[in-house]
Parts: sequence; C-alpha cells; structure tokens
Amino acid sequence: MNPLLNRRHFLRSATALIALPALESLGFRRFVSAASTATARPKRAIFLNFGWGVTNETWFPDVNVTGANYTLPPGLAPLARHQSGFTVIQGLTNKFNDAPHWGSTFWLTGANRFAEPGQSLHNSISVDQVAAAALGTGTRFTSIQLTSPTKDDGHGPGLSLSWNSRGKPIAGLDNPVLAFHRLFSAETAPLSERQAMLQQKRSVLDAVLTEANDLQRGLTKTDTDKLDEYFQSVRDIETRLSKDEQWLTIPKPTVRLSEPKEGLAGREEIRVMYDIMVAALQTDSTRVFTYRQPVTTLMQSLDIKVAPHDMSHYTPGAKMEASQQRDAAQSELLAGLLDKLKATKEPDGTSLFDHTVLAYGSNIRTVHSLDNCPTVIAGGGAGLRLGHHMVLPKNTPLCNVWLTLLQGIGIDVAQHGDSTGILTELKA
Amino acid sequence: MRSPKPTAAALHQTPGPFAPEPRRASLHPAPKILRAILAACAFLPLHPAHLGAAEAPHVSLDEKHRAFLKDYCVECHNADKQKGKLRLDSVAFTLNSVQSADLWQRVLHQVNSGEMPPDDAKQPERGAKTDFLDALSGTLMAARRNLADVGGNITMRRLNRREYRNTIRALLGVETDVRDLPADGGADTFDTVGASLFLSPDQFEQYLLLGRRALDEHFARWVPASAPIPVEPAKANPSAKPAPANRVEGEARTPGLQRELTRMHEDHAKYALWQANGSKTEDLAKFGCRKDLDAAKFVEYCWQINHEWYERYLARPEVQTGMFLDNTVNFNETFVIDLPTEMAPGDYVFHVRIGRVPDMPAERAFVSFLQASPLDKSDLTFLASRHVTADIQQPEILQFPFRILPGGARKFIFMEKRPLKGVGISLGGFTRMIKDPKQRDPVLWIDWIEWHKADTSPSVSPIVFDRTGDISEKEHARAIFRAFALRAFRGQQPTTAFIDKLTALFASRRAAGDSFENALKEPLSVVLASPRFLYLAEPGVEKKPRPLTDTEFATRLSYFLWSAPPDETLLSLAQKNALHDPSVLAREVDRMIADPKADEFVSGFVHQWLGMDRLDFFQFDPRKFRDFDESTRAAARTEVFETFAYLLRNNRSLSQLLKSDTVVINALLARYYGIEDVSGDAFRPVRVAEGSPRGGLLGMAAVLAMGSNGERSSPVERGAWVLRKLLNEPPPAAPPNVPMITRLNGQALTTRERLLAHQEEPQCASCHRKIDPIGFGLENFDAAGKWREEDSFQATDPAGKPIPRGLKKWKIDPVAAFHKGPEFQSYFEMRDIVAGKAPAFARGFTEQLIAYSLGRPFGFTDEELARSILQQAQGKNFALREFVHALVASKEFRLK
Repeated sequence: MNPLLNRRHFLRSATALIALPALESLGFRRFVSAASTATARPKRAIFLNFGWGVTNETWFPDVNVTGANYTLPPGLAPLARHQSGFTVIQGLTNKFNDAPHWGSTFWLTGANRFAEPGQSLHNSISVDQVAAAALGTGTRFTSIQLTSPTKDDGHGPGLSLSWNSRGKPIAGLDNPVLAFHRLFSAETAPLSERQAMLQQKRSVLDAVLTEANDLQRGLTKTDTDKLDEYFQSVRDIETRLSKDEQWLTIPKPTVRLSEPKEGLAGREEIRVMYDIMVAALQTDSTRVFTYRQPVTTLMQSLDIKVAPHDMSHYTPGAKMEASQQRDAAQSELLAGLLDKLKATKEPDGTSLFDHTVLAYGSNIRTVHSLDNCPTVIAGGGAGLRLGHHMVLPKNTPLCNVWLTLLQGIGIDVAQHGDSTGILTELKA
Repeated sequence: MRSPKPTAAALHQTPGPFAPEPRRASLHPAPKILRAILAACAFLPLHPAHLGAAEAPHVSLDEKHRAFLKDYCVECHNADKQKGKLRLDSVAFTLNSVQSADLWQRVLHQVNSGEMPPDDAKQPERGAKTDFLDALSGTLMAARRNLADVGGNITMRRLNRREYRNTIRALLGVETDVRDLPADGGADTFDTVGASLFLSPDQFEQYLLLGRRALDEHFARWVPASAPIPVEPAKANPSAKPAPANRVEGEARTPGLQRELTRMHEDHAKYALWQANGSKTEDLAKFGCRKDLDAAKFVEYCWQINHEWYERYLARPEVQTGMFLDNTVNFNETFVIDLPTEMAPGDYVFHVRIGRVPDMPAERAFVSFLQASPLDKSDLTFLASRHVTADIQQPEILQFPFRILPGGARKFIFMEKRPLKGVGISLGGFTRMIKDPKQRDPVLWIDWIEWHKADTSPSVSPIVFDRTGDISEKEHARAIFRAFALRAFRGQQPTTAFIDKLTALFASRRAAGDSFENALKEPLSVVLASPRFLYLAEPGVEKKPRPLTDTEFATRLSYFLWSAPPDETLLSLAQKNALHDPSVLAREVDRMIADPKADEFVSGFVHQWLGMDRLDFFQFDPRKFRDFDESTRAAARTEVFETFAYLLRNNRSLSQLLKSDTVVINALLARYYGIEDVSGDAFRPVRVAEGSPRGGLLGMAAVLAMGSNGERSSPVERGAWVLRKLLNEPPPAAPPNVPMITRLNGQALTTRERLLAHQEEPQCASCHRKIDPIGFGLENFDAAGKWREEDSFQATDPAGKPIPRGLKKWKIDPVAAFHKGPEFQSYFEMRDIVAGKAPAFARGFTEQLIAYSLGRPFGFTDEELARSILQQAQGKNFALREFVHALVASKEFRLK
C-alpha cells in the first residue's frame, strides 16, 4: 500500500481547488459565514498546565464542603470574582502515570508509558488533538501549542502538552514574539510571490519524499516505523501548505494587540501568551490551544529565590511560601484570562467565555503525589456544570473529564485514554 | 525558537576542551584476545541466529510472599469478592507481560501510598511489609527492564543535536545554533537511542532553516566568489584618547571614577552644610541636596561606604596607565565592553593584558568573563574563568574566545571571580560582607583589552567547484548536488530522481532571477533536510541481522567516538576494506580516542551516564557558598570529564573513578580543594597527599554538589547516586504517592536523626535502609563538596522564622553500615569498600556504554556481549580503552 498515492491525489485536487472559488468543501465557507451572521458560535477549547504540582494544604478546597457554597482556599482565592464560572474537581487521576516529576506528559492522554514492549516511553493522542481534528478544519490554524522556554519545568518529556494521533510529541511555540508572528504577522510579499513560494515548498517536499521512499524500501519494520515520523512530518507540512493555499488570499486578521516585546519572561510572558490566545480565538484563527506554562521563569519574575524543584518539595517556611506565592500568581493570571474571555464579545452579543471550555491543572498534585490531580474547568463552551466544588470517588480517571468535555463540545467519541465513561455530575 | 541568548555553548575555544559546554569532551597494539575475536568476526561466516536468541530471564516475585498476600489482601481480593476488580488469591507471581507488570504496579502503588490494606483491616508487621515492598519494587524494575528489551534491534536513529552540529561543522565548516531544535531523547535514555529520538512535525522546517543558514555562512566564508565578511568594526568604543578601533585602554576608566569621586565629595559637603544648619527637611534644596530626605540620606550613605574606596583606587599610580578590577562593588564597577552593533557575527577573541599586584591573596587570582543579555543587563551568562599568574610589572596576555550571534549579545564583562547572582544581596551588601580591607583592595590590573576576529572552525573546501569541460550550467549544478549529497549521506548514493528534483528547483530559482550561487542554496539545504542525512540509516531485513558494510561500520564507529561523521582517514580505510583487520581497527580506535574530537564522546557519554544535569538544578546561596560560584561549578563539571578523558587516553583503570591517588584539576579547583602548587587553567593530573578525601568520583565537588539542594547536603541523593552509578544496584525511582514525613518539621535535629524517621515506615524503609547509610558516609562533605567536621541546623516555625534555641550543632558522624553489608567508621573506609566493588561498577558502566554506542537500551539480549566485554577488560585490570576495543570488535557492533 502506498500512502503517497492518496497524498498526491489530495495535493493535486487541492491545487486544482485554488483556482476555483468554491472552497466550502474544505470547510472554508463555514468561517466566512460565521463571521458575518449570527449562526451558532464555534466551540473553543483551551488547556493550561503547570509543572511541579500545587501546595497541597492551601490549594484544594475543603473536601467536606462540596457543591456551590464552598470557600475558595488561598491558592485559588485570586479567582474569587469568577467563582460561578469554574468548577474545581477532586479525586481525579491518570492511573498509569508513575513518574513523580512528569506533570504534563500524560496529562491530556492518560497513556501507559510501558504499553509498548521495547519502548521506554509510549504515549497516545492528547485530548486537544482529538478536539482540533473536529474544531480546526475551518480555521487558519488547526490548533496552536504554546510552551515554556525552559526544558524541565516539572513537566516531563514532551515538546508541548500535545501528542499526535501516533503518540508523538508536537512542538510548541516557546516565546510570545514567535507566537504573535505565527498568528498575526501580516504577509508583505505580493500574492504571486507567495504562490511561487508555496510551489517551491511543494517541490522541496516532493524532493525529500523521493528520497524517503527510496530509503524506505530497504528498511526493517522498526526502522520503517521510525521513518514514518519523517513521512508524518512532511505530510503535516503538506496539510499546512494546503491550508495556507486556501488562506492565501485572505489576509491575517488585524488585532488590537501590539507585537510583544522581546525577552518577556515569567508573569509577563504568561500574560501576553494569554492575550495572544484571546486575540486568536476572537478572530477565529484557531479554536484549540494548549499551553505548557513556565514555572522557572514565573518564579524568577516573582523574585522567588527558591529553585522550582526544591519548591515542590516544600517544608514550612521559605519553600512553602514560595509554593503558595506561585499558586496565587498562577491563579491571578488565570483570573485575568477569564476576565478577557468574558470581556470579548462575539458577534451575537454573547462572550468568548460562553463558547470556550478551559481546563487548568497538572498531573502532579504535590511533591511526588500523582493522585487527585489539581483540576479546574471553566467556561461555557462544553455545557459543563460550573461554580461547583466536586469531590469524586478516589482515583476517578482524569480521562473521564476529558471525555465529558469532548462530548460537551459536540465531538462524538466513546473513549479517551483510560476513560471509563462520562461524568454525568459534571454536565450542566 | 528562542530569543537569542548566547551561552557558553556558543564558544569552543577555551583552555579545556570541556569548558564550553555548560548545560543550558599513546597507542597500544591490540591485545591478542581482541585480535582473535576480531579475526573471528571478520572472517568467519556470521550466525545471525546468535542474535536475538537470548532467553528472557525469568522474573518473578518469590513465592514466599504469597503468605503476605494471603494474610493481608486475599480477604477482599478473591474469587468471590474481587474488590476494585482485583483478584490476588490466584495471581501469577511471574511478571512476563505488560499486563502482569501493570497489575503488580497497582499493588505496589496501593501499598506504598498506605491505602492498602485499609485502615480498618489487619495491618502487616513493619518488617514484613518492608521486605514485601523491597522485593516487589525490585521485581518490577527487573520486569520493566525485561519488557523493554528490543531483542538486539538497533532502531535507525536521527542525528541528535550534538551530532547534527558536529556533522554540519564537518561538512560546511560553520557553527550552528542547535538550540533552535527541540531537545533530544525520551525518558531515562541516552540521546543516541534511536527509538527515543523523535521527529516532530515542525522539526523538518527547522532543519531546512538551519541548513540554509549554515549554507549561507559557508558560501560567505568558503566559496571564493563571494565577498569576505567584514572583519573589523568601523567605529570603536569611545575612549578618552585615540586608540585602535578594536582596543580599549584600561585607564579609560579613571576619569569617570575621578568625576564620580568629585561629585561625591561635593554632595557630602552640601549635606554636611545642611546638617550644620539645623537639618531641616525643607532646607534640603536650599543647600543643594536632593530635596527628598530619604534620597539625600542615601546619597550621604553612598559617600560613607564608598568614598574611601574611590580615594584609595585613584591614589594608585597604576590607574594612570590601566585599571583595576575589584571585588567589592556592583557590576557597574566591573569592566564592561560594549561592542559596536555593526560588528559582524562570528568568532572573536579578546586579548587581555593583565597582571596581579604583589603579595595578594592567592585565591583572588581568578578573573571571570561574562556576557550580558542585550535585553536585560542583569541577565548574565558565565562564559569562562582564567587564572592570572603574571605580575603587574610583567603582565601576561590572556585570551577569551567569544562569539557574536546575529541579534545576540554584544556586551561583555570582566570581573574578579565571584558569584554572579547575589541572591537577595543588595548593592553594598557584597562590600559589607568582606570585612578584611585586604580582601577589598583591588588586586588585578588590566593594561588594555583588544578583540580580533578568530577563525576557529576547521578549514573545509568549498562545496561548490568550478565548471570543468563543456557542460551546461545546469549540469554543473547537478554535479555539485550529487557530490554534496554523497558526502552528506555519508557515502550512500542519492537517487537520480532526487538529484533531478534538486536541479529543477535550481532552475526555477535561476529563472526567478537568483545568481548561480544563490540558486544553489535552496536545493543544497534540501539535502540537509533529507532522511539519508538526518538519519543514520542502515538498510536491513527483519530478524536477519547482516554485517554492516565497511562504510556503515566506519560511520557507526565515528558517531560513537566522535559524535561526528568519519574523517578522510577513516573513510579511506573503509573504502580499502581495511577495518576488517583487527590490528588496523585497534589502531584506528586508538587514533580516534586520541583525537580531540573524542572529547565529544567523553562529555556526551559521561554527562548522561552520571546524571550530571542535576548539577544545574540548584543555585547555590552565595552567602553560604561564596567559593562555589559559576566559575567553580563549571570547573567542577569539567573535572569529571577531564578525569574520564585522562583515564581513557592513558588507558588507566576504570576503578580509578572509585578511588585514586591522582586528581585531574586546574588552579581554580586546586585552590578550592586546598591543594598547593597548581597554576594555570589547564587541567592536569596532580598527585594528592596521603589521606586526602579527593581522588575518585566520591571526592569530586561536582558529584557532591549534585547530592545537595544548593543549601544542604542530601544523604538521600548521594546514597541513591552511589547505588545507581557506582555499585550498579539501582534503587527504584522515587515512587509516586508516598507521603512525605513532616512530623519532624520545626524540630532541632541532626540530619541523621531526621533521616532515621525513614526506618519507621515500611514504604520508606524498603529503599532508604539501603540508600541513607551511604549518604551518612559522605556527610563530611558540605553541599558544595568542601570537607567539614561539623554541621548545624536552624529549626524554623511554620512561618519560616528561626525558633529560639532551635539551633542545633553537631560533629559529623560518618559511622554507618551498608544494608546487609559491612560497617564503616569513616568516609575513607566507606570509599575503600566502594572501591572494592570495581567489578560491579564495571558491569554498570559496560551496560551504559553498550546502550550509548549501539543506540538502544541495554536488555537481556545484550547479556552475552556485556559478559565478554567485561571479561576482556577485567583481564586488563579494567583499563578503560579495553572496554571500547572489546565493544567495537564485537559482532553486535558490526551487525545491522
């Protein structure tokens, strides 16, 4: 079987399509119409993760007070003005994760790293990519991954929170300037030049595929699987090129956001990344974001002198204070993001907040504990019950939340990761 | 991509070969037995069946533990009840599948976290629970390792970042900033393990981009048709008197300081006058002081703490012809060089003429060289440190290589060695910390600083050659592509269709108006993003290992020992089929190890093998560890690499890493260790005195600092490291969900008393009874690896405030015993016991070396290989090169 036949076929037809005005078959029309009429607003999803867990004593609400009338603990207190707009869930776990410093590797996947004999790290598709496959067809960018510039921030292996359908890591943009340019930078070259550029990129891909196909013929199965990553990479760029082609004549949106300063780090970096997210969702440039947030630079920007890993192993005193300070700073930033989502109006008068589902948390609870993953769900996008504190039975799969979320945004999947079913109590 | 933030990694010309890599390095004839093995390998038919035929060792939990399950688990987890859908009455004790391992992992988690047996059920006795957990976690580790076995299969691997950088350098003669590529490697593996080296979708474009940049530079530097890049800046740093464009005179600093002092005196006079006239706040402005009281007071304060220093500085005659570096004030008082923005990116060298004043404290003879971020001047990157040995009367010229990247930093700083980041220390704080005026007086004098263009890259011939004969331009381009692809693909032929497509790409660029040379670049960069370049591809057939071709073998060898492609010598031997000759191969391996390129193997392998990334985890508090600054940390890291390189190149015994009478150090580390008579920056072997704690990994500052949190020593980290790296008895990784012991917080206890709490809880004791005692034996070293006889602890309340009478001081008690092993009275006795376990150490080392070189995790399939390597090495008293020779000569190393 030659997967390239399909690819070529698709490429040819995509190239043919560019000459024609009819692009609706590729979902293009949906975007254009959505922007002009008051049809149902698109669903958006945001996943935010931090490494190194939280301060156990002061981040979780009292397990004895569930429901709507619970008191926000200090770690979540900066979110008070949004209390009716989010739900805190306790009792969730990724049962396979056994690496006490991996806060994000399996967070959105629920995979068993040992599932493939002969591999030290196996992973599977992350929930955002499942969502992107459905939500991202009509937008310029299928999904956008943002990530911390520091290699190890208590996140574990990976290049962002996202893992593709083959369980391979997807790279993330690790600085706000880069993210801004990717999303909003205006194309300055004339159309004909850009068309020629696209054509040249295609020729480049075509050339390397010739080589890859020839190489593949002599390889063993494992090596073929390895080379498949290369094919996948090229296919991915082809898909992107096809999308670029569809969007060639449509200028990138102008946003009320100036180009970020170089060298932003920590608190400012996160804040600007959040601004970029809001602007991108508002202009429907993409509908799915993941952000593997920085911890090291955040702590530096807060002038915390404790090393991040050390902070996570806090004892009362400076380290615990550092941990609490970090919790609060993150909650404050999140509150700012929720403010903006609420303040951003959709054409039909509703807000971006109403159509976005946001998950915020980590696979690490605290220190080395991987049970009761800190989890906050916000936004009206998935029709989930907000304003509550839920304490689920111990070791409820975190993937049950992801499954509920996926179904809530209208994606018909029966399972994700190690999910055992949806959480009916989480549905509004 | 990162915003440009050059680090020392960008440099590669420093005195030690290992110095530049901060995060984020004698010929003997082959022994007879090696020749015999090589001969067998080369001339006898291979029996592929030998490979992959290894039986998985049987991994099971000892049946005696069934009683434990029966007593505490089966009541709820049996055929009828199956709580949590788990049955343990008939569970298999053999862990031979992912499923069975997962099931037992679950059991381990539950018992570890204390959830099982439940509180209201019968609880196991402590000792029984400890033994059960110990056995189960050990069995699980063995099972996971079994299940990870790849049956001798070597997965085709992508060039990792180090290899990519070195390969581009070899091909094009230029340096690449590989931080633009995603980090390599998966979990717990080397960056050479193919299965864990992914290619993420964006990466392809990064390769195109990096390849294009490298080609641009190659064309600019090596292709004659192009203009040479401008070398010297048009404008110089402004200076008091005319100086060469690339030079700063030291005395240029003096007028500024003079002005500053004059101003300070004036301010002080005004303040004094104001004080003499009633000290009324509203009068401040009248007397010419700052009108805000606090600001005025601050100005006066600055005068108080600084004016004497200024006066003493300016009173020295040498400041008329140069400048002093000082030790006391803030960074403004260091020597800052702001290079002009129009200076072209590239490699340069500072030449600094420097000398020391007579009778100065010897520990102050070091200068640090830093780079400041263009965006944030307090964001400093340590680049290098140097030992100043010359007298002020006859200064010496020290060289500091540096690199300017496009958009990168152009601000460089010289200062007397000291901690970079004064955690929580105010401007004057450093000054006040140094009570002894002799320590405050400047001692290092700089005459001038110059900078010159450096050419540090290896010379390469241009990849573009002249048109010969009567061929068209297109044919000419085609020939260039073919020749380049053949080299880039390490001897593998590119397909004709590929070259056709490159030529078409060239033609279209040419038609679009590009020059001949520019039109070549795009297709050439495609070569550098092609799979045959990016992957070390060795075609093969499933389950039928075949011998590598000579060129493939040369490539594998070269990436093992150099992390770079083969050079001409190695390639020509391969082309002559000479590498089958055991003596030729042995000679070649010795040549490669002697070559500086083998430093890449040393640093790449050793860094990962010994888990040295931990050295950068913590920032050491300069108030407590003023000596353990960035310079010392870098030197400590280099010591580990230099020691290994020394043993390797001189074919000394691996066991010298456990204990040795020789250390490989430079002046800076000698000073740190209190070893006399070592001068200069080069690392060299130095005999240590009888009874010195140094000599071997256990006495190295880097290893000891890794076993700390930057503040206190950690017997746990150190003990676990020794078990894992030296004794080859790795404890399980820290398990998830085991609660921390917090009840001792706020109590004034010794480290040892605190850690004894580990023995109370079975889930702690099962590992810590092995780990902690070893750590106790290393307690004579503080967090930064200095010898100590005493330690202390200040207890704090929950708010972090010191508790009155909460200070505990104690004399270090290193007496402990290995778990089920011998007792030791001191660090020295413990080190001797560890040194007696050279075979275990060699075994662990061999496994790691196999994994690194073959690019696959060590598995049971490699058991025979490990045994034969060990046998050969042991016969030679574990001489380090013997491991390499045996490995390279093995059939596994020659098979795809």
